[in-house]
Amino acid sequence: MRVSSMMLYDQLKKAIQGDIAELTEKNLRLATGKRINKPSDDPVGAARAIDYKVSISRNDQFERGIEQAKTFLDTTDKTLTSAQDTVAELSKLFSDGVNISDASEMDFYANQAASYRDFLQTLSNTRLGDRYIYSGFRTDRQAFTFNATTNHYDYNGDLGEISVPVDRGGAAQMNVQGSTAFSVTMSGTTPTSLADGTPVSYTQAKDPSTGVNTITIEIGNAGDPDYDTFSVSNVMDIANYMSFAWQAQDVDGTDLDASASVSSQKAKHRIEALAAPLKEAGAQMLQVQSEVGIRQNFLADQQARLEQSSLALENMRAKTEDADINETIIEIKSAEVALEALRSSSAQILSQSLFDFLQ
Amino acid sequence: MSISGLLNIGKTAMLSSQAALAVTSNNIANVNTPGFSRQEVILGISSPTQSGGLSIGNGVTVEGVRRNYDSFIQTQILGQSQNQGRSTALDKAFSEVEQVFNESGDLGISGALSDFFNAWQEVAANPEGQPQRTLLIQKANSLVQRAQAAEQGLTGTINQINEEIDGIVSQVNGIATKIASLNGQIIQAEAGQQPGTAIGFRDQRDKLISDLGNLVDTAAYESQDGSLTVLIGSRNLVSGSNAKEISSAINPEGNSELFLDNTNITQEISKGQLGGFLSARDEIAATPLTDLRKLIASVVKEVNLQHQSGYGLDGSTGNDFFGALQVSGRDYSEGADISVASITDLSQLTLEEYNITFDAANNYSVRNAQTGSLVTSGAYVSGNPINFDGMEVTISGAVSASDRFFISPLTDAVGNFSVAVSSNNTIAAASAASGLPGDGSNAVSIGELSDSTIANLGDSFSDFYRSIVSYAGTASQEASDSLAFENNLADELNTRREEMSGVSLDEEAINMIRFQRAFEAGARMVSVTDELLQTILNL
Repeated sequence: MRVSSMMLYDQLKKAIQGDIAELTEKNLRLATGKRINKPSDDPVGAARAIDYKVSISRNDQFERGIEQAKTFLDTTDKTLTSAQDTVAELSKLFSDGVNISDASEMDFYANQAASYRDFLQTLSNTRLGDRYIYSGFRTDRQAFTFNATTNHYDYNGDLGEISVPVDRGGAAQMNVQGSTAFSVTMSGTTPTSLADGTPVSYTQAKDPSTGVNTITIEIGNAGDPDYDTFSVSNVMDIANYMSFAWQAQDVDGTDLDASASVSSQKAKHRIEALAAPLKEAGAQMLQVQSEVGIRQNFLADQQARLEQSSLALENMRAKTEDADINETIIEIKSAEVALEALRSSSAQILSQSLFDFLQ
Repeated sequence: MSISGLLNIGKTAMLSSQAALAVTSNNIANVNTPGFSRQEVILGISSPTQSGGLSIGNGVTVEGVRRNYDSFIQTQILGQSQNQGRSTALDKAFSEVEQVFNESGDLGISGALSDFFNAWQEVAANPEGQPQRTLLIQKANSLVQRAQAAEQGLTGTINQINEEIDGIVSQVNGIATKIASLNGQIIQAEAGQQPGTAIGFRDQRDKLISDLGNLVDTAAYESQDGSLTVLIGSRNLVSGSNAKEISSAINPEGNSELFLDNTNITQEISKGQLGGFLSARDEIAATPLTDLRKLIASVVKEVNLQHQSGYGLDGSTGNDFFGALQVSGRDYSEGADISVASITDLSQLTLEEYNITFDAANNYSVRNAQTGSLVTSGAYVSGNPINFDGMEVTISGAVSASDRFFISPLTDAVGNFSVAVSSNNTIAAASAASGLPGDGSNAVSIGELSDSTIANLGDSFSDFYRSIVSYAGTASQEASDSLAFENNLADELNTRREEMSGVSLDEEAINMIRFQRAFEAGARMVSVTDELLQTILNL
């Protein structure tokens, strides 16, 4: 094969350019730490890397959602514990005070019941940040407020479930509606008579839009002198009625009856009648709290799953996208050596020709 | 044999060596000239004299100068330079395109899309909060910016290609002029001579035609008088010493098209840099640009549809989150115009593009612009609305069978992409007015769009975008692999050409010695003859 001068120069030029280009490419990998610096470096890998990054970002967002839900549920849990304790205290108050007759003692019990009632209301209006946690979707208003006209406690919230996404296509509910926790539903067979044989009946009516269950209690038979009827829709109402009953009054402050003896008889009956709903209230709160506990467990599991998934995804992403630093450095070294060798041999070849040797 | 005969023989020796040295030094001078073919002096025996039964030679003559040239390789080089030019252009165009979709720095669209949908989740968890809503609007604006930057990257590349095309057109015209003038010179120089003798001009012309091939699809053939006829798109660009010009003009879509002899030759050009740029321009507009617009249009459609059904903190409903999609039309008709083009039902939009054409009986057909499949047809009445796929188009005026209207909801999708909610409280996080302020379920639904398969795209938003990135990467990789291959092939052919036609300095040095010695010997002979003459004269 005949070799012309230009062929020689061109070939050397091409070889050196090629080596320098490779060296530059590897240096770029070292500088960025990535194997894929533009999509054409590895189109399939680039697309996969995007997929991993998007998934990791989604997982991070779900974890943030879980954190928010956990805070909400923890607060709910704590308030429910306090509420349960208060209801237990009320029950104790009932069993201790149902048969007392001394006026000053009864005043004491009335005050206790009132303070438990107020505490329960405070608990029901717990806020997290600027949100009332027991109002369903109506987080800008208090869950339970006292209605001075009816002398009952009204629920101002709704049955809204505040959910936060914690998984693809899965959201976790983080609130408990006030009506679910504080409004009492009596289940199973309700008692039909009080301790002294007086008939008693409990009629229940649930409001489907707010979940508030109103229990209408009828004591005695219609026409009896001590016939009594009243309604309660939540534990605050129960405590309120109990408090006023210990003062032989109706919740509006008026005497239960013109006759003092009938009044105190009615009061005693009222307190006895409220025992059953109170017991239910305690059981119900326990039930709600255990549900909250289940939700908290699920969130903890989900968080662990997400963390594992993110770890695996990050590994895959690094394998796809990141450059192996050691390997790259070795490749750079060998490319440098090759370049040096080429340069030194080129110098030899390029600088000599026959003209150097002719006289 | 006379003394003067001897002198003559010596003279031929010296003169022919001189000529040979001239050729050798020409070769040495042109060692680095691209396209130069090594020249060789053709020495021949001078016709011998018959004298009394003896045949005595008369020295050497220079019969000519030959250039070492293989026309077969030259043809191959011309063909290869066209492929190389095409690959160069494609590689240049697609490496720009892939930079638009370069996600390695986390500054791309996929990050912005993720952040946008994540921000919706934050609002879902805390619908009453103002900071979350502010963040959502911020992320939405980020997404708008990135999408618009990407579109500008692509349209910028297309504009650059159009400019390159114009630049190449003037280069082509320049080369054509030079070839024409060389044709004239060659015809003159070779008039009455053997063809192929004007070697200097021919070398120059070969180089020029090869350069031309790199720029554009070209065919060339030589005629009897030595002139080269050059054709582009089956039309003469150069014939004899006349050169025509290619011109470029902008078509209604804003792209440059090429004309020769008042004929549109754009479709005929597929090789050379021009061919490469034309192909790249069409592909970029058809695939990544249209797909990007479709992605954004889809985001606007899905988010708006869901957002319209929700309630803001201020109780308002039916609001768009993003600026509404618009229908744009392009009119290829003399007598008729589009008077109305609007979206009637957002949920029915297919996000495809359409052509409305007419037949001789004044019936219209609406066809999918990509697949050509018929969407709807009917009798055309000027001013009556044509409804299809959630859009309404009204055309007024007289139409002819060659008219066409191009309708698309995608053309301005990214240009008009913007956040339309007027304030934080208009963001519809709630699904029902009764659920305010704590209801975040509509925000949850919008957030979940990022994982759902979108009917118009056939994929989720993120997967559809990934396929665009994959396309850009693959196209660029293919183009650069192809360029490497073509370059290698071109280098191979060049090496073969050099083998035949290249100058080797060492070889020329040897020639130089050879002819120098021959000259010295001839000169010596002349001086010996001179001595002989002296001897005779002194008799």
